[in-house]
Amino acid sequence: MRLLLVGISHRTAPIEIRERVDFQARGVELALRTLASRQPGGAGGEIAVLSTCNRAELYLACDDVATAKSDLVAFVSAFHNVDADAIRPHVYDVTDLDAARHLFRVAAGLDSLVVGEPQILGQVKEAHTAARQAETAGPLLNRLFHACFAVGKRVRTETNLGSGAVSVSYAAVALARKIFGDLEGRNVVVLGAGEMGKLTAQHMKSQGVKQVTIVSRTLAHAARTAEAIGGAIAARWEDMDAALGASDIVITATGAAAPILTKARVESVMRPRRGRPLFIIDIAVPRDVEAAASEIEQVFLYNIDDLQASVRENLARRAGEVERAEAIVDEELGKFATWMRSRGVIPTVVALRQSFESIRRAELDRLDFKLSGLPPEAREEARARVDEITHLLVEKLLLTPTEQLKGLSDPEMASLYAEAVTRVFGLEESEPKTENRVEPFRPKSRPASSPGRPR
Amino acid sequence: MNLVPFALYAAAFIGYALHFARRTTLSARLATTVLAAATLAHTFIIGMLTMEVGQVPVFDATSAISMFVWLLAVAYLYTEVTTDERAMGVFILPLILALQAIPAFKASAVRSSVLRGPVFGIHVSSLLFAYASFALACVIGITYGLLFKEIKTKHLGVFYARLPSLQVLDQMNQRAIIVGWVFLTIGLVAGVMFAAQSQAPALSLEDPKIIVALISWAVYSFELFAARRIGWAGRRTAYLSTVGFAVVLMNFVLVSYLTSSHRF
Repeated sequence: MRLLLVGISHRTAPIEIRERVDFQARGVELALRTLASRQPGGAGGEIAVLSTCNRAELYLACDDVATAKSDLVAFVSAFHNVDADAIRPHVYDVTDLDAARHLFRVAAGLDSLVVGEPQILGQVKEAHTAARQAETAGPLLNRLFHACFAVGKRVRTETNLGSGAVSVSYAAVALARKIFGDLEGRNVVVLGAGEMGKLTAQHMKSQGVKQVTIVSRTLAHAARTAEAIGGAIAARWEDMDAALGASDIVITATGAAAPILTKARVESVMRPRRGRPLFIIDIAVPRDVEAAASEIEQVFLYNIDDLQASVRENLARRAGEVERAEAIVDEELGKFATWMRSRGVIPTVVALRQSFESIRRAELDRLDFKLSGLPPEAREEARARVDEITHLLVEKLLLTPTEQLKGLSDPEMASLYAEAVTRVFGLEESEPKTENRVEPFRPKSRPASSPGRPR
Repeated sequence: MNLVPFALYAAAFIGYALHFARRTTLSARLATTVLAAATLAHTFIIGMLTMEVGQVPVFDATSAISMFVWLLAVAYLYTEVTTDERAMGVFILPLILALQAIPAFKASAVRSSVLRGPVFGIHVSSLLFAYASFALACVIGITYGLLFKEIKTKHLGVFYARLPSLQVLDQMNQRAIIVGWVFLTIGLVAGVMFAAQSQAPALSLEDPKIIVALISWAVYSFELFAARRIGWAGRRTAYLSTVGFAVVLMNFVLVSYLTSSHRF
């Protein structure tokens, strides 16, 4: 069985196409069920659908890769009601270890629009869960996804690929956490009822702050924004100082031409706070807070440029971690390749076990005949004993050969052994006809196809 | 004998430096394990000495420093285990190493029979524990200052990435100061009681050791007062805890070796 990936992503398709090929909108479960009934690439295939706003990928374990490819494109076109010719130029397809490498890189966040973003690993996990629930994931895809989770986890813990905020509102939250630790129980005041302020406030709210207060020149605007955020309250412009006094984090985003918070005003707000720190995020252009306000002890003032500079630094730092993450991908791909190769001998192992089991069954049947003279109870007991003993015997006899065969990492050697075992035990008749084409592992290069196992 | 823990503390320092740079789970475990081994070896030495002399094994400045280092290591390990925060290790270990160098390379003096009894034991161990707490507070205060500066000046760098939040550092600092202050007070009271009991001539305001101890008590009392009443927080209390520990260290190391009034 081989592995095939067919998909589109932000690297190959513009947003207009990605929007139309959104499996989440139409339902991943429905897609999996439809695909399972179509059986692309032959019967007994395994399927998983990975769908995010930046990618739509179909992972398939099947026997006939060439047919499956065109089947999948036709399916995508029909499922989303998009002309196949419109999507075909944007579709990429890779097979076997290249497909595995692709998924590993995706799970690590290496293929993301923002390198190292943390959500992707969760989305990959969802894709696997959906496939398991729809019963379209089998041994190959289960192994593949578990391996990619390991990659994602290692990259997260062993490199700094995901460290540092890479968006302005994340950077603001990260800074707030460095000052206050936990954001629970903190009060946030937003000056201005505009879109920017609302977005940042929403982000803060999702981090579990206690109270968000919107202060605007028009109370009705403030009330509307507060309602849109949900659970926030509105305050009058005249009550601003009182609100500031009770706050820990202030987000200023008004359209005012001159600074609203002068140094003197911030000083007067700070006096009764008795050293409680105040974090001011000024995302307005032109600025709402006088730069000199940052001179006040226990006042931390960041404007939009400061936050953007921090975002740029973090992006640069992440780029430096890519190499380490790629090394982890290579390492885990090596392990996965060994496992894939060990699968090449599985039909032989299965045939060997079936052969031993059929001999055992035949002998048990003969025993029945010999035991026919005994009373029924004694006969049952004797048969059960012999059944148990012979079963254990066969298991023990086959344990070492099975392990030895599965442990062969060199595909040439594996096929020689499989051939020898097939001949010695006369397995030709009983061996299931499964094609196993497993290519040797070559890091970072497209594996060339190798001939099938000699028979 | 104090050389073994010294060597292990040195290894632990390397471990913590490595962890500070790399921040992997392995380096974290390695650093903690080596420090735990060092502390255990040190515990063994102090335990042996205690059994040998039948009381707190502190007879002079050198043995007092060894005891202090041990308490500091235990206090730090406790903080590390309870907060799961290892970034501070790289700051604590140099202090531990520098102080442990004294007992490691300098033999202890002859024991005096005057320095015995439960009150003396309380006096010495309370003060040493107070000093260990102040040492922790000082290191936490320094890291607070470093992080504060990075956030304030908007140059987010090494400390921003590695240290816990300002709030957490401030709380840890406050807690260490309170514990230290309580033990300092107990130690000083026990000292007065011991002096009265043994009728030693040492208790006078001419004794530089006592003067400096009172100064450090005043500094820490002010710090606690300022934090609660005037609203001094963050950087100011952090600075005060470094000033306080500088006074303590001067008393503990310099005054001990330079004057003969208090033997340690």
